[in-house]
Order: sequence, then C-alpha cells, then structure tokens
Amino acid sequence: MAARSSALSGPALPFRVVLWIFGFITIVPFGLLLLTSIKSKPDLLKGAFVLPAYPHFENYLNAWVDGHFSTYFMNSVLVVVPVVLVSTVLGLLTGFAFAYLSFPLKRTIFILLTIGMMVPTEAFIIPLYYEMLYLNLINTYWVLVIVQIAMSVPFSTLFMASAMQQIPGEILEAAVLDGAQRPQVLRRVIVPLLLPAVSTLALFLFIWTWNEFLLPLILVNDDSLRTLPIGMLFFQGKYTINTPVLTAGAVIVIAPLVVVYLIFQRKFIEGLTAGATK
Amino acid sequence: MAATEHNSAEALSPPATRSMAASARRTRRREPASILDRAGGGNLLYLLPGLLIYAVFVFVPIVAALVVSLTDWNGLATPVFVGLRNYVELFADGRFYTALGNNAQFIIFYCAVPLIVGICLAAIISAVKQRERLVLRTLFFLPYIMPTAVLGIIFQWLYNPAFGPFNQFLKAVGLGKLALPWLGDFTFVLPAVGAVASWYFFGFCMVVFLTGMQRIDPSLFDAAKVDGAKAWQSFFYITLPSLLPEIRVVLLLTVIASIKSFDLIFTMTRGGPGNATLVPNIYMYQLGFQLNRFGYAAAVAIIGAILVFAVNAAIYLLMRPERKTA
Repeated sequence: MAARSSALSGPALPFRVVLWIFGFITIVPFGLLLLTSIKSKPDLLKGAFVLPAYPHFENYLNAWVDGHFSTYFMNSVLVVVPVVLVSTVLGLLTGFAFAYLSFPLKRTIFILLTIGMMVPTEAFIIPLYYEMLYLNLINTYWVLVIVQIAMSVPFSTLFMASAMQQIPGEILEAAVLDGAQRPQVLRRVIVPLLLPAVSTLALFLFIWTWNEFLLPLILVNDDSLRTLPIGMLFFQGKYTINTPVLTAGAVIVIAPLVVVYLIFQRKFIEGLTAGATK
Repeated sequence: MAATEHNSAEALSPPATRSMAASARRTRRREPASILDRAGGGNLLYLLPGLLIYAVFVFVPIVAALVVSLTDWNGLATPVFVGLRNYVELFADGRFYTALGNNAQFIIFYCAVPLIVGICLAAIISAVKQRERLVLRTLFFLPYIMPTAVLGIIFQWLYNPAFGPFNQFLKAVGLGKLALPWLGDFTFVLPAVGAVASWYFFGFCMVVFLTGMQRIDPSLFDAAKVDGAKAWQSFFYITLPSLLPEIRVVLLLTVIASIKSFDLIFTMTRGGPGNATLVPNIYMYQLGFQLNRFGYAAAVAIIGAILVFAVNAAIYLLMRPERKTA
C-alpha cells in the first residue's frame, strides 16, 4: 500500500472506497444530529433518515430558552475566557522561569509538575471537592476557573518552556545588551517570537476547558452555573423524549468547537500530533 | 509538543548563525543560568504565581487523596485512620475486579482497534492526492476535538432501541434481527460503548501515523520496489518498523485514556446494566459521591493513578525509542 506513495498513480480503487467508508462513518453521527435538530416530533416518527417537510428551527429556540442552553453557553464562555487568558500568561511566566532562570529545587519542582500532568483528575477529585467546600467555593464561577487554571499549569509551563528553549540565545543577548529589562524581554521579544506556540496553547486550553466534564459535574450543582456539557447531561435527564430539542442542544455545544476547528485545523492537527511524536 | 515551534524558531536564525547558537546553547547548559538569570529573589516572581496555584489546587489534593485512602471517612464525621485496610479490602472486592476486567476489555476498543485501523488508513491515505488527503484528514480528526460526555449522550440516542437511528438502519437493510437494545444488553453493551471509543480515536491515530510516514525516506520504497517487493511487504518491512515511535506514543495515550475513561461511559451507561460497563473511575464515583465511602473511593482512585504510572513506565521500558535511527 505505502509503496505506491512514490508511484504516480494513487491507491487502487477498493482502498479508496475503504477510506471514504471510514470518512462516512465519521461524519454520519454529526449529519444525523443536524438533521434531527431541525425535525418536529411527528417528523421523527416517520424515520430517522427521512427529511422533514420544512426545517423546525424552533428546536434551537426551545433548547436556548426553555432548555437553559443560553445560561450554559454563557457560563461556558465565562469560564473559558479567563482560563485561556490567565493560563497562557501563567504558562509564559512559569515557562520563562524554567527556561532561563535558576531557582532552588528546580528539578524537584519539575518532577512535581510532571506528576500533576499524569495523575488523572478522578484521583484527586474527592479531596478537591472538600477543599473547595472548606474554602466556600463550591457552586461559584471561581471554583471552575481556578481549578481549571491550576490543572493547566503543568502543561502550559512545559509547553512554553520548551518553546522558549528554541529561541536563539543571541537574540536575547542582543535585547539585554540594548538595556531591556526582563519583563520587557519577555513581552517585546519572547512573546512576539513565540506567537505560534502561544496561540496553539490557547487553542488547546480553549478546547479542554470547553469540553471539561468532571470538574463542573462535581464542583457545581446549581443549574444557573452549569457549563454546556453538564447542562446537556441534565437536560437529557429531564427531556429524554424530546429528541429534536436534545439534538439541537448538542449542536449548540459542538458548533463553536467545529467553527474553531475548521478555522485553525492545521494548527490543531499539527500541534496535537507534533506533541505526540516529539 | 514543541516540535512545530522547534522548526519555526530554528527558521528564525539564518544558517550562518546556527552553529553559534548551538555553541551558545552548549555553554548555557554547563552554567545553569542564562543571560536572563539574576541573583536574588526576583526569579521567584516568575515562578511562584503558577506554582502556588498549582500547589494549592492540584498538588495538595493529590497528596490528600493518598491520605484519605488510608482512612475510613463518610464525608461528615472525622476521618478514622485505618492504615492499608481499604487497599486490603479492595483486593478482595469482586466488583473492583469486574471493573478492572471491563477496563482490560475496553483497552481493545480504546487502543488495538484505533491503532490497527489508523495505521491501515494512514498507509492508504499517504498515497492519495494532497487535496483529498487534507479533506480526509480534517474529517477523520473531527471526533477527537469533541467533548466525550456530549458524544456519549449523542450515541445513547443513536443506539436507542425504540427510535434510535442505528436500529432503524439495521431494520431498513433487512438485519432487523440484529436490532438489539445495545446499551441494555449485558453481552453487547461493552462492545457498543467501546465502538464509540474506537470511532473517537481512530482518526487521531491515523493523523499521528500519517505524520510519521512523511518522515520515511521515499527512496526506501523505490528500492524495495526495484527489488520486487510487494506492497504488503514494504508495508510490513519498511512502514511498520519506521513507525515504532508513533506506535509507542499512540499506545501510551490510548491506554492511559482507557484507564482514565469516565465521561463517555458515565453518560452512556453509568456503568450498567448491572456491572457490565463498570470501570474503576465509575466505581470510584459511585463509592464516593453516591455511597459516601470516601476513603475506599480514594483507594480506588489511587490504584487508577498507579496504573497510569505503571503503563507509562512499561511502555517506556518495553518500547524504548531507538536513538540510532531517530
């Protein structure tokens, strides 16, 4: 199969058919989701693959208003924006420290951060819940934002530090000789040079925070504070039968992801796989 | 993760200065500090904000989980120290073994299936024209950016026995006998949930392998062809061995994902019916947040974390990257 890569002709037709069958399998659930989200309940009884007589966009209105998806969407945005901003800045600062500065216990602290990256959230969610209860932070925006930031510190730090280590030393030397102070070097020299890495990090943080399920499931139980994935779960519990509105809700959750993905897909795919193959 | 940035940063320095940069880097390594390093406490201003927030909200809970796992605690009364009793009880707990067994079966769907499908698709797709390849790559990767919890809810509907599209499709093509209540069937629920995990991961695996294949020297394939090698022979003797680093990474990520699996199974089955899809993390959730046995639940969680570390170590040791070829 692979031998053909250097040949002029593409792969044989059966192989390409296999390829597109898998492509079809990937897209079908999303297609059905979109189709069902514009059906009425009577339409649905006619069969899952039958087109509706006319599109019922009121399902989206129902999900948005009656299903509280407007609240969930707002909450997701209110959590994602500060997490992405603060985590990126913290990643730059801590990464800067690991890339260029000396401080006591550097190796030990590095190992402690790596541990945080490997231990599953599930392993410490119980003490975390009680810590938050003790700090009176359960059922607040703060808890979702702070914990998400804290959990992203190890990755942001290592990601930024390894990107900074790639910057040629003489660029920094030139900046220092020109009399720039460290904050200026970071802001005026390093950040502009690392803009691709910074934006990749911001993308990852966006997607991880948007998709986070366990933290809001455990740390928040007030409906007015639920983010989209959790809101979806409780909506499903209440309206199991109303499939069109449920699917409209699902589209509301994943639409921003799909839009961001299609805009930045090169960055996404290359960033994620480069991390994997490093 | 920095591989892409590596290239862009290298590109910033013209070739003539690159050797200078390399020597500068070498001297920097001998002395721990760089030109930006300063004596005194100023360095800590950069380190501490991130480190403190991490310590308070991640590291302290991790340590606390270890401590809680050594206690008997219902969440209200004062925890009672019981030493390793939770762990002893755990190793005699049938449900825990069921959960581990299910997790082992899930590994087939989280790792083996996506790995094999991904590597085969990558071999095919690498020969497809650039444009079509980019379209397919974008398509295959799409599930990987989705929230697994929401995917679980979507697939629960797709699998619905009464009005789910999946069974309607089976009936429409004359396979009505196979239209089972997938998520309610003790035998088929695990493969049904597992199939979603395979669907989620295969595109990611494919893209990783595709990236790896672009690294292989095309003249190897030409040479093999001249020597009369069949397509499948060059796949097994050239492509597969060259992809060893990627296979290692994919194994690592998917095995860990299967040990960590919670969202998808929680939203699809809650571990049921019975214990048919119970995995350690679901068991931990039930023990902790439904039965208020927090000490025991923490012990389950700690075992899960130990498994993640063990897998990391095992894959690292068994499939050590070969420095010579890399």
